[in-house]
Amino acid sequence: MIEALQQAGFRNARACHFFDSFAGTTKERVARKYEVRGANFVAYK
Amino acid sequence: MSIACPVGFDVARLKQEVRQTYASVARDPGGDFHFHRGPEYAARLLGYDLTELKSLPQIAAAPFAGVGNPFLIEHLPSGATVVDIGSGAGMDCLLAGRRVGPDGTVTGVDMTDEMLERARAGAKEAGLDQVRFEKADINRLPIDPGSVDVVISNGVFNLAPDKAALFAELYRVVKPGGRLQFADITVGVELSEDARNDIDLWTG
Repeated sequence: MIEALQQAGFRNARACHFFDSFAGTTKERVARKYEVRGANFVAYK
Repeated sequence: MSIACPVGFDVARLKQEVRQTYASVARDPGGDFHFHRGPEYAARLLGYDLTELKSLPQIAAAPFAGVGNPFLIEHLPSGATVVDIGSGAGMDCLLAGRRVGPDGTVTGVDMTDEMLERARAGAKEAGLDQVRFEKADINRLPIDPGSVDVVISNGVFNLAPDKAALFAELYRVVKPGGRLQFADITVGVELSEDARNDIDLWTG
């Protein structure tokens, strides 16, 4: 994600918050296996 | 780490599956899905203010299926021009509309008719004239070049198989000095080819 943002021309791209978005869903086990989380990102032009 | 689209991936089928999945959410937000929906989830796991969410039209808030909270990143200034990519039923657009006020504008872009119908009804019910919605492909935005202060999005970019094209389009519409502030999913381990070709993993 960060690399793709930078390649498009955005600067200072970064992830800034993380969320356990799949906790309690039927996909929680798969999310844990693949370390899938929600995240906030910011990038500037 | 993000998910890369494998060579030969059926992009048309992915789009169709995404559209069908989110049309189903719009028709029945309380249905059986493998991701959370609604204001209680948004408050409990993503840090939204439940009191504020309960003050919104539930036609817009109930189908919310974001994965993070773009409003925690930076303040949306009064009078700003904001675009929400993959705006769904419009919950984040209504929150953005309140923050930018009547001198700002918020444009939600989505490809699912059922979601757009809810979103437009929600904006009308909320009395937020500065919030509008457009049906469009997120790779071809109906937005003038260099016209947007802030692009927001929540759980949508991971559904786009060509992120280079998407981010190039976003770069086109953002003003110099403007920004993207969005939520999406991250994957902490390298996915197998089979996993990356699994449409269910993409649409989820």
